[in-house]
Amino acid sequence: MNSRISTSPIVIVANKELRDSLRNRWVLFMGSLFLLLSLSITFAGSAVRGEFVLPALTQLMSNLSTVSVFIIPLAAILLSYDSFIGEQESGTLLLLLTYPISRTQILIGKLIGHSVVMMITISCSFGLTAILLYFVSGKYDAIELLNAFVVFITSSYLLAAYFIVLGYIVSLSVTEKAKAVAGLLFLWFLFVLVYDLLFLAILVADFSFVGERVTHVLIALNPTDLYRAINVINLDDTNASVFFVNDVTLNKGVMYLVTAAWVGCLTAVSLKIFKYKH
Amino acid sequence: MSHSLAVCQSQPIVSLTDVCLQFGDFAALTKVDFEIFPGQTLALLGHNGAGKSSLIKLILGLYQPTRGQINIADKKQLNLGYLPEDVSFYDKLTGKEVLSYFAALKQVNPSKVNQLIEEFELGYAQHRPLKTYSKGMKQRLGVAQAILSEPQVLLLDEPTVGLDPQASQFLYKKIDQLKHQGCAVVVCTHELAMIEQHLDRAFLMAKGHKLASGTLSELRKLSGLNTHITMTAIEQRIKGDRYLQSLCRDNALEVGTNQRDEMIKYLVATKNITDFNVLEPSLMDVYRYFMRQVFELETSAATVQPSRTDTPLFQQLLRYFKPQVGKGHYE
Ligand SMILES: Nc1ncnc2c1ncn2[C@@H]1O[C@H](COP(=O)(O)OP(=O)(O)OP(=O)(O)O)[C@@H](O)[C@H]1O
Ligand SMILES: [Mg+2]
Repeated sequence: MNSRISTSPIVIVANKELRDSLRNRWVLFMGSLFLLLSLSITFAGSAVRGEFVLPALTQLMSNLSTVSVFIIPLAAILLSYDSFIGEQESGTLLLLLTYPISRTQILIGKLIGHSVVMMITISCSFGLTAILLYFVSGKYDAIELLNAFVVFITSSYLLAAYFIVLGYIVSLSVTEKAKAVAGLLFLWFLFVLVYDLLFLAILVADFSFVGERVTHVLIALNPTDLYRAINVINLDDTNASVFFVNDVTLNKGVMYLVTAAWVGCLTAVSLKIFKYKH
Repeated sequence: MSHSLAVCQSQPIVSLTDVCLQFGDFAALTKVDFEIFPGQTLALLGHNGAGKSSLIKLILGLYQPTRGQINIADKKQLNLGYLPEDVSFYDKLTGKEVLSYFAALKQVNPSKVNQLIEEFELGYAQHRPLKTYSKGMKQRLGVAQAILSEPQVLLLDEPTVGLDPQASQFLYKKIDQLKHQGCAVVVCTHELAMIEQHLDRAFLMAKGHKLASGTLSELRKLSGLNTHITMTAIEQRIKGDRYLQSLCRDNALEVGTNQRDEMIKYLVATKNITDFNVLEPSLMDVYRYFMRQVFELETSAATVQPSRTDTPLFQQLLRYFKPQVGKGHYE
């Protein structure tokens, strides 16, 4: 551990969280899982047909984001659910609070550590997928592929950050680890599945009051929808059909900003909860 | 005990005045006055659930008092060491990593980590994850964590639980060292025999109340427990001395603590006896005495023995414990 006298407490906490996850083989496990999933999505079509045919890039990214929108939040939740309740149960949180480190520094340190963990996992697995795609297929344009994956990876990271902080909020609010897991799985289910089903129902029902603006708002309210929208819009191809996003003309930059704002908002909420915790 | 004299004149580094702590409608601490001084070891004693750990957490600011004041000198810059009562550190990290983590947070030089690992004889296991440590090994690590920064105020909540005799001895040696450097030490423990040699003052509590505090000799006086003077062939040697015979019980002379010195003078001057042993009431005796007071008060309920009601201690106890008559028992 780098313990130079001047190292900031935030860096020290982040460093420890990173080390903890690496020791846990968490990164290795999740990274392999991500890689396996993305490879099977990428090459599944070929296997079915018995010949080597890769989908168009737009289709591919759409498929990828459809699956990663499920597993990235799940991975983030698994990473963060016991951050606070776990340390509270073991007594180290109480001990830390007697150290010359503020609650804000503890939380931000954890957030940075966990974010780096997710960044490593996401970049390695999806980066490797992109590299394999480029060299194995020889079909995709390098610049296009790079653009698609850079957007995919950065938006994946933002999505992960959102669920990491959501994990903190739950972890700070419950009294037992098991409750944190249950609560977060419920939220995951809500964000990833239920919300979209309701959304879809509204769109299909074609209520007259559901205009484009309402659709935009509904997307902006849920970072998992923003994530899908970012990755589909990125390729600027109207053939890509992921649920409802065909007719959406939200700007990509705006969607990044909105997602980041959500992360910021939840971070503020979690800081507040931590501050007033017993 | 020579220390306490000098220290009594100095200012307390932490003082609690009239502090109450409430968990819902349960009073964990009631009107507690408490002080700790630099260069002194204070033994915080009391039955399970007396409120010792809560008191420590109040000092640390982990709990806020419902009432009363907590004054801490130089709070911002105060260098604190704390060992919680049941802490289990990060399982996956190695012993050295855990200690280095806490050292970094306290901006302690990494060489100190190595030194403590050696001193607590954890060198052979320092690169093993904590989940492979035994209870005592974890406790050693916890204690090392508490004294990492050579704190000005050291709060140890049952530090010797799980430690083997040598490790406990080493810990108390460390505590004495820190004390001589001016550290104010609070040790909450149930191992009275072990702390007896190292304490400057003791603070006794029961049911969230302060029972008594002071040096061991002050507490002995307060308790009125007798000193025992033993010698070989006591019966023969006091034969014919009505006064001594009246004091002799179970092959020992029993005298009040304040009469001890006179008795010794008497033995030397009139009987020419010098080979006697003076057995002062131990910390355990004193502790049991105070706890018994609470116990008896509770069981005797309203039917108070008149002989006792005139002592100030009794009055004090009565005020504290009478409203809670009949809950649990202590001895
Ligand atoms: N967080 C809490 N919520 C409710 N009650 C509590 C809480 N913490 C402590 N108590 C109660 O306060 C009382 C004092 O607890 P404390 O832990 O201070 O006791 P203690 O003297 O340290 O006991 P022990 O010797 O067993 O460690 C106990 O009756 C306990 O049940
Ligand atoms: Mg306790």
